Formats: sequence, C-alpha cells, structure tokens
Amino acid sequence: MIRVFLYLAWRSTYNRVARQARQLKNPRYLAALAFGLTYLWIVAVDQRPEHPPQVLVGARWLELVGAIGVIGALLWGWIFGIERRVLAFSPAEVTFLFSGPVTRRGLVQYKLLRNQILILFNSLLWTLILARERFGASPWLRALSIWVLLTTISFHRLGASFVRTSLLEHGRIALRHRVVSLVLLGALVIGVAWSIQDAMPDLAAGWAGGLTTFLDALTEAAERPVPHVLLAPFRAMVRPLAAHTLGDWLRAAGPALGLLVLHYIWVIRADAAFEEASAEAALRRARLSSRERATPRLAHRRLPALLRLAPVGWPAQALLWKNLLAVVRTRRARNVAGALAVGALVAAVLSFQVQGSIAEAAGWLAVTWAGLAVVIGPQWVRNDLRSDLLKLDLLRSYPLAGRSVVAAETAASTLVLTALQAGLLLVAYFAFLGNSHMEPPLGLRTVALLTALASLPGINYLGMLIQNGAAILFPAWVHLGGGRPGGVEALGQNMLIIVAYSAVLAAALALPGTLGLLVFYLLRDEVGWWGLVPGVAVLLLGLAIEAAVLLGWLGRVFESTDPAAADVAA
Amino acid sequence: MIQVEGLEKQYGDFPAVRGLSFTVQPGEVLGLVGPNGAGKTTTIRSIAGIIIPTRGTIRIGGFDLAAQPVSAKSLLAFIPDEPHLFEYLTAEEHLRFVGRLYQVADVDTRIPGLLEELDLAQKRTALPGELSRGMKQKLAIACGLLHSPAALLLDEPLTGLDPVGIRRMKATIVRRAEAGAAVILSSHLLHLVEEICTRVLVMNAGQTVAIGTVADIVASRPALSGRRLEDIFLALITPERDQQP
Repeated sequence: MIRVFLYLAWRSTYNRVARQARQLKNPRYLAALAFGLTYLWIVAVDQRPEHPPQVLVGARWLELVGAIGVIGALLWGWIFGIERRVLAFSPAEVTFLFSGPVTRRGLVQYKLLRNQILILFNSLLWTLILARERFGASPWLRALSIWVLLTTISFHRLGASFVRTSLLEHGRIALRHRVVSLVLLGALVIGVAWSIQDAMPDLAAGWAGGLTTFLDALTEAAERPVPHVLLAPFRAMVRPLAAHTLGDWLRAAGPALGLLVLHYIWVIRADAAFEEASAEAALRRARLSSRERATPRLAHRRLPALLRLAPVGWPAQALLWKNLLAVVRTRRARNVAGALAVGALVAAVLSFQVQGSIAEAAGWLAVTWAGLAVVIGPQWVRNDLRSDLLKLDLLRSYPLAGRSVVAAETAASTLVLTALQAGLLLVAYFAFLGNSHMEPPLGLRTVALLTALASLPGINYLGMLIQNGAAILFPAWVHLGGGRPGGVEALGQNMLIIVAYSAVLAAALALPGTLGLLVFYLLRDEVGWWGLVPGVAVLLLGLAIEAAVLLGWLGRVFESTDPAAADVAA
Repeated sequence: MIQVEGLEKQYGDFPAVRGLSFTVQPGEVLGLVGPNGAGKTTTIRSIAGIIIPTRGTIRIGGFDLAAQPVSAKSLLAFIPDEPHLFEYLTAEEHLRFVGRLYQVADVDTRIPGLLEELDLAQKRTALPGELSRGMKQKLAIACGLLHSPAALLLDEPLTGLDPVGIRRMKATIVRRAEAGAAVILSSHLLHLVEEICTRVLVMNAGQTVAIGTVADIVASRPALSGRRLEDIFLALITPERDQQP
C-alpha cells in the first residue's frame, strides 16, 4: 500500500510543481522567480558573515535555547491542539482512500508521508537560512539534522492530537488507554514548573544583568538534576544541529534518530492501541463530506444593526460586508474582542494598584504586538481576495469594476486588522493610565495613541493591498483560501514571506512616511506635538495616492486574470 | 438582447471556440448543446464576462461587454452548474448581498417571493454548509433571478435538483422568458432543451454545427425528418461513418 501512497504523493507534487513552473512562460512570473531567487541568494549566501559572528545565541547556548523552543512548540500542540490541520484530508483523498481498502493505520501513514513534502521544503529553506558559520555541520548534515528535528516535531504533534481527541471524545475510557502518554506529559509539565520555580531567583538575577548573563544563568539552571533529565530528550533532538564535526554529528544523530523512530512507533501504534481511538475519531471527522466541514462554527446568526446592508449604495460594499461577516461571526473574533475588552479593563484597574508594574509590562507587550501586527497581521487576517479568488468566476460575473472589487476586498481585512491593533493599543493605553511617573507623560501618550489610530488604517490598507496584489498577480503561486501551512514545519517559508513583505511595505511607506515626518519636524517648534496632525495628514495623503495608483493597476490585472490560473494554488 | 459576433477563445494552441455568432432576442430560450469539450461552457462564461474572448464582440442589451462591462453585466445573470456560495452568509443574506451588488431597492419585498418560488423559505437562515447539493443549486438560482435579469445564462441548471425542483426550475425559466428575458441554457439533457428552448445551437469542436428551431434544423437536413432530438443531435455531431445503423 505504501507504494500507492508514494505514487499519489509524488505524482500530485510533481504535477503541481510542473503546472506552477509552466506559469514561467508569463514574464510576470519569470520576474517574480528572479526576484525570489535573488532574495534567497541574499539571505543564504550574500549576507553570510566572513568571520564567525558574535551572535546573541552562541554555540554554547544553541542547544539549550533550541531545546526550550522545541518544548514550547510541542506544548503548544498539546494545549491548543491542531488535529484538524494535521489530519486534514482533501475531498479527493476522502473519496478515494476512505472508501478504498485502506486501514486507518494506512491513512495515518499516508498523511505522514504527505506532511513530508512540506517538511522537506522547509528543511531546504532552513539549510539555506542558517549560515554554516553559526551551525557547524556541513550543509548536507545540517539539512539532515533539520529534517530529523522537524519530522520528530511533526510526529509528536500528530500523536498529541490523537491523545487530545481521544480524551475529548471518550473521557475516562480513553484516560486508561492513554495513561503512559499522559503520565509522561504530566511529569514533564510538573518537572518544568518545579524547575522554573526552583531556578527563578537565579534567572531573575541573571535577567537584571542582561541577555548574556541571563543565558548563562539559564545554562546553569539547566544543569541541575531535574531539568537536566527533563531537557535531555529535547536537547538530543537539537544536538545534531549544533554539531561542528562529522564525528560530533554522528554521535549526536543516533539519539535524535532514535527519538524519531520512537515517535513514529507511537503515532502508528496510537491508532491500533484503542479501537475507538482518537485517530478513528479524527479520521471520521475528515470522512464527513465537505458539507460538514464547510459549516463554520458561528457565534450566532443575528446581525448587529451596524452590519445591516442597505439595498442601494456603493455596490462593492456588499463584498466588504460579506467579508466582515465572515470574521465577525466566528467565535474566535468574539473571543478576541471580549479578551481585549476585559484586558483593557483589568489593565486600567491594575495600573492604579501597587502591582502597577504588571500592568506596565502587559502594556508594553500589547504595544509590541500591535506593532508586530503591521507585518505579521496580514498573515493571520485573510478575509479578502486571498480567500475569495477561489471564487473568481463569481466575482468576475458581478457588475463591478476590477478596482472596486480589489478596493472593497482589501478594505475588509484592513478593518479587521486595524480593529485588532486598536484594541491592543487601548489595552496598552489603559495599562499605563495610572502610572503618573511614566515617560512619556499621559498627554503625549494620548497624542501617540490618536496618531497611531489615525495612521494605522492607511498603513494597513497599503500592506493588505500588497498582499492582495501578490494574490492577483501570482494566483498560481500564492496560497489561496484557508488551510495555509502553519506550525513549526512551515516556519521557514512563513518567515521568509514575512521578511520579504516587510521589505516591500517599508519601501512603499518610505516616501509618505518621510514626508509626514518632515512636516512634523518643520512644525514642531511652532505648534509642538500638534504638528503630528498635519504630519499624519501628509502621510495619509501619500498613502492614498500610492493606494489609488496600485488599485488602478491591480484592478486592470484582476479584470484580465484567467480564472483557470487561480485554481492552482487552492 | 444578447449579440455574439465572431466569438473566438484560444487556450494556448487549442481553439476552444471558433467564430461563433448568434443572437438571442427577449423572450427567447436558446439551448446550447454539444458533446463534452464542444465549447459550450467557454461560450457561456465568455458571455457572462468571466473569460475574456480572444476575438469577437459580445453585446448585452446593446452594451459592449469589453468596453462597458459593468453596464452589460448589470443586465445579466450567470448560474453555473456548480453553485459557488459564501460559507458565512445565510440563504437570505446571499440574496441581500446580490441585491446590493445589483442595486435592487425593493430587495425586502422580492426575497420572500423568490424563496417561496424556489422552495427555500424554510432554509432562510441556513448556511450553505447546512444545505443539500440541490438546495445550494436553488439558492444560486435565486441569487441569479433576484434582480430580474434581462439576460439569463444557465449552465446545466438542473444538476442536483430533485424531480419537484426540476419541474419548478423549468417553469421558472419559461416564466422568465415569457416576461421578456433572453435565456441561454447549456445542457446535456436533450429532453429539457426540446421542452423549453425556442431555438437550439448545436456546437462541436468549438464551432456552430446547426442553429435554429428543431424544425429549421430538420428542414435543412431532410434525412433527419421524424427523428427524435437525441438522434438529430447524434447525427449532427458524429461523422456519418461513425453513426450507428
């Protein structure tokens, strides 16, 4: 049966890549490939330091920091669960495999095989990204080390999803059958908590002395008996990556490969160990037709008055309305909105208390996330053309100009992202509210908040326009619809995409931003911080001009895009 | 209402549609028939403004689809064989959405009647994921009919419908045509074409093989006299040497 799975995986991948490669006849795609290769060359080769750099995470800390990162990734899988994504089957796979003479174990093996495509691609990317000077083994050994690490993490996530689902669906019965996995997990969690508490004074002292001192304190704490034992398997997973010579690598690879094999056995046996196991349940869910999977879990269907759609007005507003509904109605959106509201309230109360430092830390965290959301946010919020281009047929049949479609679709994701950032900034504002000694003072913080709230929609709109532009220009290459690759396995490609996007956004913001700042500095002596008002106005004007030019161009491209091209990246 | 002149669509070296010309007047139902790969869907999608033709002109209500796409599209409705619906909109919200796109001011009064006509009244607040294949198709049809299009393009409209739905759908198409809509209906169901189409366009390999009423087509080929539409269709698209005795 494995040969059938290999054939299916190989031919599907080959044909997909071949079809995408055929797009290179189009000069637009050819230019994009040249740009992408140049970008990879700069990242992988051109920026490598000539001498071993004085990196923050030096070789002596690499293994430990890597092990802690692996623990974080694995715990995330246990706590938040991603079984739907891990065991997601396409409708064709469901049709052919579920109705065919394939065992549940066979299906799991097939899924593991399919996940390898993503892992191999990201192993290659990481091999290029991680410069040899920092990670000692040869490129081939480095690639193998990364593959072993990512595959082990992938297996672990799948195993964790089996246990989670089994527990959620079968309660106490499953508890008995999962006792070994759960005891190990429980021991790990208790051990980690105890170790952190035990080492906290030393770590706190180290933190006060800076990052290097902190990492030294962390290394010292990790050498204590309990953390040493707990960290051993995770360090073993990372150790081949830190090996400098072939001998070191060979010694380190044995335990890492052993863990990989153990994980494989765990995942494969997880299905056979229990008749009504989580694998069965997860697969049963996947077996349900697209009808089941297409039904989103909604908070409720009644529309708030603000979201009622008038029958007449700007026609493309219907697209904006539809895309906002797609977000507003989900439980996740309501949970985030509720959490931000409660967070702002609690932060405001805490800021006046003795524990004001907690509120301040939370405030800075919120500000940091609001800022990061400018570049990371468009990866999360995708209720725009990146979702709708799969229905390009339908969009093209509407009586709307291309630029109107692009404008409305982009506005939807911009509004959602801006609302998220505004919520975070308000949490920060309230968290700092009671701190009368804080610099900058309250008045200036208020001006900063208003400036951010005024300028973020423009900046986000331009950013989302770039993201949507990429989808319109390269529908065969950009991932459209849901189910975007995520998790540690896809971290490499997602990181590269974010860095590239940040560079393009920075270039687009350069001129309007510079002009806005110039106006502010020219007026600052005259009107003080009020100079921000014309500064922001100039920034927004510049952004509007850029957006108008982009919209016109992308609208024309949208109108001339062949719908068949958009199917490829679905 | 619908004028197609010299329509051609080329995919690389492959000509999907070659030199197609025809008109559909208000009140007419033109049946588009032909074997798989004949170019029916490409033709209908070109008229809907989804595909850009390689050559030729398409006019809807006098508006050139290439030069005035928004005006032309506002007069037509395209109902594909596979219903494309938005997963987060209920049945009624789909209609409100389409109402705004086509600026239907009296959408509130039109929606109940349309839902009733297509047997969707009980599914007003259902999401697409909660609808059967046939119900989804009915909803897609309702969306197409909401703005009372002057030109109606239907690609295999009966796919997934139950016998009651098929009967209602046929009546709906006829009623819209009687109300003055120009209808193009692409289907492999020859009995449907025979029953409700006023004229037939037979396509093969992207070209027109025959066009006119069934009587016109038979008149131009006396050998086909007295035969059923299915036989006529097979005779038109199959070379003589391949025909069954």
